[in-house]
Amino acid sequence: MSTAVRAASTSPPTSKVPEPSRSRFRLTFPGALMAPGISILALLSIIPFLTLIVMSFSRVRLLGGLQLDWVGLDNWTRVLQDMDMWASWWRTAIYLVATLGLEMLLGVGIALLLHRVVRGRGLLLSLVLLPMFVAPVIVGLLGRYLTDSTFGLYSWALGKLGYEGDILGGSASALTAVILMDVWEWTPLIAMITLAGLTGVSPSVLEAASLDGAGYWQTLRHVVFPSITGILLVAFLIRAMDAVRYYDIITVTTNGGPADATKTVPIRLFETAFRFFDLGYAAAIGLMMLVVTILISKGFVAVLQRKV
Amino acid sequence: MPKLGAGEDVWRRFAGTRINFISENTAPTAAIAANLAPFEKLTGIKVNIVNLELSALVQRVALDMASGDAQYQVIYADPYQVLAPYSKGLADLREFIGKDGYPELEGGLDDFIETQLKAAGQFAAEEPVYALPYDCPTMIWQYRADLFEKYREPMEQDLGFDPTPGAERTWDEYYEIARWFNENVNEVAYGTGQQAKQHDSLMCDFSNLLWSYGGDYFENGQELGLLGVEEPGACQLGSDEAVAAATLYDKLVKVAHPASATWDWDGVGAALRAGEIAMCPNWHEFAASNETSLPGKVDYAPLPRGPARSSDHYGGCGIGIADNAKGAVRGAAWLFVNWATSPEVQLSNLKSKAGGGTPTRTSVYDRAEVKEAEQRPTELPNMLTGPAVRTAWQPDNIGLRPKIPMWNACDTAIFTGLSKMIAGQDDAESTMADIAERIDGIVERGWVA
Amino acid sequence: MSVSETQTTTRQKRSSQLMVWLLIAIAMLWTLVPLAWMLAGSFKSSADVTASDPQFVFDPTLDNYRNLFTGANDLTPYLWHSLVASSLAAVLSLVLGTLAGYGLSKSTMRRKDDLSFWVISTRMAPIAAVIVPLFLMFRVAGLIDTLPGLVLAYMTFNLPFAIWLMTAFFDDVPPSIEESALVAGCTRWQAFWHVVLPLTKAGLVTTGVLCLVFAWNDYAFATVFAGPSSQTLPIAASQLVTQTGIDWGQLTAIGTIVVLPMIFAGLAVRKWLVTGLTLGAVTGE
Repeated sequence: MSTAVRAASTSPPTSKVPEPSRSRFRLTFPGALMAPGISILALLSIIPFLTLIVMSFSRVRLLGGLQLDWVGLDNWTRVLQDMDMWASWWRTAIYLVATLGLEMLLGVGIALLLHRVVRGRGLLLSLVLLPMFVAPVIVGLLGRYLTDSTFGLYSWALGKLGYEGDILGGSASALTAVILMDVWEWTPLIAMITLAGLTGVSPSVLEAASLDGAGYWQTLRHVVFPSITGILLVAFLIRAMDAVRYYDIITVTTNGGPADATKTVPIRLFETAFRFFDLGYAAAIGLMMLVVTILISKGFVAVLQRKV
Repeated sequence: MPKLGAGEDVWRRFAGTRINFISENTAPTAAIAANLAPFEKLTGIKVNIVNLELSALVQRVALDMASGDAQYQVIYADPYQVLAPYSKGLADLREFIGKDGYPELEGGLDDFIETQLKAAGQFAAEEPVYALPYDCPTMIWQYRADLFEKYREPMEQDLGFDPTPGAERTWDEYYEIARWFNENVNEVAYGTGQQAKQHDSLMCDFSNLLWSYGGDYFENGQELGLLGVEEPGACQLGSDEAVAAATLYDKLVKVAHPASATWDWDGVGAALRAGEIAMCPNWHEFAASNETSLPGKVDYAPLPRGPARSSDHYGGCGIGIADNAKGAVRGAAWLFVNWATSPEVQLSNLKSKAGGGTPTRTSVYDRAEVKEAEQRPTELPNMLTGPAVRTAWQPDNIGLRPKIPMWNACDTAIFTGLSKMIAGQDDAESTMADIAERIDGIVERGWVA
Repeated sequence: MSVSETQTTTRQKRSSQLMVWLLIAIAMLWTLVPLAWMLAGSFKSSADVTASDPQFVFDPTLDNYRNLFTGANDLTPYLWHSLVASSLAAVLSLVLGTLAGYGLSKSTMRRKDDLSFWVISTRMAPIAAVIVPLFLMFRVAGLIDTLPGLVLAYMTFNLPFAIWLMTAFFDDVPPSIEESALVAGCTRWQAFWHVVLPLTKAGLVTTGVLCLVFAWNDYAFATVFAGPSSQTLPIAASQLVTQTGIDWGQLTAIGTIVVLPMIFAGLAVRKWLVTGLTLGAVTGE
């Protein structure tokens, strides 16, 4: 999986099958295979992206058809000066670190545990994967059902343990709660991908390591992890991309509260676009989100490349 | 647009068309959806009802209007999220009312409760009508009559006033009653519950106090809330009255059930039904479910007064027609709007097991069976709130939030600021000043449709 | 090794294996309790489901399920639309993604890595912002409120994902495999179809399952691109959030219905999910 790392960096490609690159345009075999997928993707993404850029420099009208009135840098200066936006970015950063961190830790942990089990691994894996199949909207509502102070199972259980407050009512506890709901839903994704990677570590290498006298943790650190770094990166990037964009769980549980404690950037984006109908400003926010996501991905790839 | 043949039933003029009705999952819609057959039989028109949660509805309606033709011909036009910002996208219904070739509007526009027709049906101008009032939830005082009866005497002795709920009580007295329940009553956990989640519901809850103190969001608040304007002027939340109201609201939430900070109207309603609280301000249409869970125990009254008046927040809505709808579907849409708000249908909605929404027409309230239902035992539990809401809809009592196109942004600023105040991050005075500043900034940016 | 050493290592092994099972049990509890509670809630009457103390023992009722499938808001079309649109989107994305992934992997273009990054960057698009231009494009093309339109909308995020993931899997296949096939006289297509593709079966299944999951779960795109005749299950769930409260009984029932088909899908393919993603396991190098 090391090539997934390479794909996101800028090192030169190694040639796989001897075939000289051609300077005049000719549809090679790889080109022909790529053509349908890439062209559909281009159609679906380039026009919206360019529109988005233009929208971020305009005031957008909706009634009677989309109209764009040029306002120059207004939206951009606003987005960079808006203290509420920066507060949201800060909260989003906390949210990202917490969810991604916990999901990676727990996901890898569960994968390691399942790797130790031989019989019943398939069944256990199927059970572990279940939360992933529940739509985020429903996870949020389910979470609300479990943490409601009148009829929630978890609030009742916590009450028995002496916890008096309301889970979604306090700033810190609400943020923790939505983080945990997200972790509950997406840890299986990391676990699934990591487990698949672990089963790919060739048994002969593991045998060699144990014959050399290496213990479990040593084997893990020096043999297993280096060979699944690529996979871990893939799992991380998949989740990171979505962690920045998804807002369903928070919208449905706390709506950004209490006192803006859970108001992350994607919520602010939806609110700006479809509650305030300030679409030009929303486009600016959206482009900022895109830039941040790209930076995170490139950043992580660079960090892992230096270690490898 | 199909012509009306000689002697043809005007209701069947558009037979064979299909229209789409986009609505929030509200009581009348549930009742109508369960009983659409009569409309189809009457008109030959097929109606497809699409229910969406409110923010998704607003999103779809806005996009639909932007696209140039109308996928949804009949629209649930929330006065603050759809009507105010996008009145230009709705058809002026005077095109159909009293005109040849269309069925009569039974009882005419005058049959609709006056304040509701203005608030839910019009925007910024005296004449055009963009929607007909469809539902009318209003916040009133809901309380455990059994507990109030049991503890009336000790309460009166300790507090020094008759605690019977009604518009004669003040909000200070409401606060005292709530505290008394906390300290002296075991049947319920707390005296009051508030909708203090960082959500539109918080603005709704707070507004009752704000208006009762004579404060408001903008000048001429009552008019602003009735017809609405495009440019409201300076925000008035910095006034002494507003600060006094906010101070009291903060105090109130502190003695309320602690889970109030997680509750919108659904949470408060569930808490009352589960016996967690003795009373609360909440939308009157919860009466039906109250009656199912606590039969005979819950009663209703207008909200308490402040120094200025008693104010009950109105949250009703109308249905209108997308202006982009052309031809047969436009006429068919009118037939549906007409039918869905007609006295017969409003009566059957009231009776429906699936719905229970209260009518928006005076003639329905005047019927004998409806008047009877205001007393127990009743077949129409929502009518138990009858006397309370009738008072609530008087022009002096009705609580109307500003109907301005940029209201959503202001609403968010208001409930976010209040949420911070309740969380203890700010005191009442600086909270109000901060919100006022934000609102002024929002209003200054203006509105482009 | 001496006898006592063997005994210690066996004991160590047993206690560590016990530890493993204990931790797995905790993980299962964490995962399954909410789902079990949701399942229980779907069989509770509306009084039981919002009762002050969680009802562990109650009279089960099928009312919630009955209400979901009768009346004006029958869940069946939602279920059907979700199944059809998600499966089609997953299959199409997988097919196109696999082809493009192989092409990208084998390509010798100079800007190959940039192209690869561009592909995955399209999946980073901020949803609420990009929906407006996409909506207008689809409206012009007459795709709003159609199942093909919904499938295409799902492909906006599934296609880049499939391409990117399959590229990574194909990159892991040693070039020697393909080279020997070509030397043996296969055309490039035959080498792809008969030799390389079977080796990435686990990768295909993983990608397919994930594409299915992302499409199945989607709410943001469905609220905009679906219409009266193409609504999906997540929308049905959100509809239960009304002015007069949330019907928790029906909500838990919808949640159960949403999870059920995916359980079957997951169980059906679990064999492929746990075999290796890389070639190492197969050739045992």
